Amino acid sequence: MLGDPIVIQSLTKDFNGFRAVDDLSLTVRQGSFLGFLGPNGAGKTTTIKILTNLLSASGGSASLNGIDVVQHPKEALAQVGAVVETPEFYPYLTPNETLAYLGEIRGMSKEDISRRTKVVLETVKMTEWADKRIGKFSKGMKQRVAIAQAMLHEPSVIILDEPTSGLDPRGMYEVREILSELKKQDYTIFMSSHLLNEVQEVCSDVALINRGRLLKTGSVEELLEQASVKRIEVRTIQQMSGELLNSISKIEGVQELRASGENQFMFSLTGKDQEQAQMLLRLQSLGLNVVSYKESGLALESLYMSLIKDSR
Amino acid sequence: MSETNVNAASRAARELPSDLQQVGVVAKYDIMKYLRSRRLLGMLIIEAIVLIAITALLATSNNPKTADGVVGQYAGFATILIVIGATLFGGDAIVSEYQGRTGYLLFPNPIKKVSIIVGKFISSVAAMVLILAIYYAIALVAGLVMGNGFSTLGLASLGLAILYGISALAVAFLISSFMKGTAGSLILTFALFFFVLDIISSIMGSLGGIKPWFLVNFAGTSLSYVTTDPYPVDTIQSLDIGAGQSMTFYYFYPDVGLSIAVMAVYAVVALVLAYLIFRRREMSA
Ligand SMILES: Nc1ncnc2c1ncn2[C@@H]1O[C@H](COP(=O)(O)OP(=O)(O)OP(=O)(O)O)[C@@H](O)[C@H]1O
Ligand SMILES: [Mg+2]
Repeated sequence: MLGDPIVIQSLTKDFNGFRAVDDLSLTVRQGSFLGFLGPNGAGKTTTIKILTNLLSASGGSASLNGIDVVQHPKEALAQVGAVVETPEFYPYLTPNETLAYLGEIRGMSKEDISRRTKVVLETVKMTEWADKRIGKFSKGMKQRVAIAQAMLHEPSVIILDEPTSGLDPRGMYEVREILSELKKQDYTIFMSSHLLNEVQEVCSDVALINRGRLLKTGSVEELLEQASVKRIEVRTIQQMSGELLNSISKIEGVQELRASGENQFMFSLTGKDQEQAQMLLRLQSLGLNVVSYKESGLALESLYMSLIKDSR
Repeated sequence: MSETNVNAASRAARELPSDLQQVGVVAKYDIMKYLRSRRLLGMLIIEAIVLIAITALLATSNNPKTADGVVGQYAGFATILIVIGATLFGGDAIVSEYQGRTGYLLFPNPIKKVSIIVGKFISSVAAMVLILAIYYAIALVAGLVMGNGFSTLGLASLGLAILYGISALAVAFLISSFMKGTAGSLILTFALFFFVLDIISSIMGSLGGIKPWFLVNFAGTSLSYVTTDPYPVDTIQSLDIGAGQSMTFYYFYPDVGLSIAVMAVYAVVALVLAYLIFRRREMSA
């Protein structure tokens, strides 16, 4: 549809006969936060590189804000901020200077650059490093400056390629905080990831790809709704014994059962809320004193795994 | 292409700086990078050593000197500075964006590859001109002091040196546009101008009797000969080596007008080729 900020049509990319992106079509709607999911080598980075003028396409087209990025890259990228792979910085420049450089290329005024530089460096918590040369920064610090430059000119579209990759748990947490912050503002965000919990947490929409092909796309809720297989985690007063597990496994609907602790077990359940509630009753009727009974946060994972299994 | 696409493109373009303005931005920050890195400083130190050595030699010799003769002594070493300058300021200009991964930061911006390469080229030419201007300023002053006169031919030599510098930088850009690694690109640029081209032109000239007027290094030597008056002319010498055999030696000197044309052609062709390769080169590593 015209007016959608990112429209990818039948995009194809061959590397010497190897098809990394295969007839991919995808539309990202205005104001959405799309998680672009897929296993290693699925073609996520390749797709993003074509969107950001780092690679040429072998076929198909991609447009940003209605402008074809292959034909008019300069104009198409005018309102776009991007972090692709893990970029490197000019080691002799400071974050302030780097942002000034990129801001001037993007046509920002001196005042806008200094005002926005303060804001974005504050957002990524790099203010105290603003005048230090980037050469000695750690990977995580560089990643934050990379995110800052993507937001600098208040673009309408932000494209991120695995923004938390290579970061330590705290770095990941902080980047996720930044992402949630971005989500509140009205950017359209296209983010590749293979971290399902990250996507489930921050994204409004999901597109799943494998081997360069689109498997599924929709809102996170829709997909979770469709994900008929759930992973359920149960904690009981009783200790798990072989005998007990054996009788649980005989309950109708229990699949892939395994003990996950002294008095915990997990299993997969096919069905919706109705079936889930029913299951709890059946477990209790075995005489189990259930302390907690919850859907583990891995619903997207089971959908992902089943789709990827099917596409092999 | 649809009508709306064109309209949207021109609307977005209106808010962006022009290609030319972006050339200026790239050049400005590239010069800043030279100032911050030790490259410009290193180049200035090498230059100072060369200047001190030549000046000391000239000052301690008692031969009568002319201004042109003095500047000519300096000019003889200008090509070395140009070779080092082309290596330091152009030898990795493009490949470093790929190998150093800074291209991931720069290329997704609304800027054409042509603006990037022209901006970078302007900054490296500026660095080269700075180095040569300092060098010749001191050479001309030495001519005034030791040769008791202003060397007009020295100015001509400066002009040729700048042109040779520009063509060597363009060739360096071309090398850096296709080489995979920064180190290889720097080494190839340096080797090419330091001896490879010289070996080729000597083989052709002295042994084959072919005047290598079309080689950029040969054209570049005009910057040194131009300070001699009269300008040397090509000579062929036959030497009897006994037993009815003789050997022929060829001494070729570049024609100044032709050399200017050759250097200009190298500069333009190399830079255009560098651009075409750069535009197609993919950010894949
Ligand atoms: N320049 C290249 N030359 C050849 N093959 C390539 C090139 N770039 C990518 N590929 C191949 O294309 C496929 C897709 O790679 P891509 O980097 O897009 O995957 P990805 O989804 O980003 O994976 P990851 O999660 O590991 O980052 C891979 O099989 C990869 O080996
Ligand atoms: Mg990737």
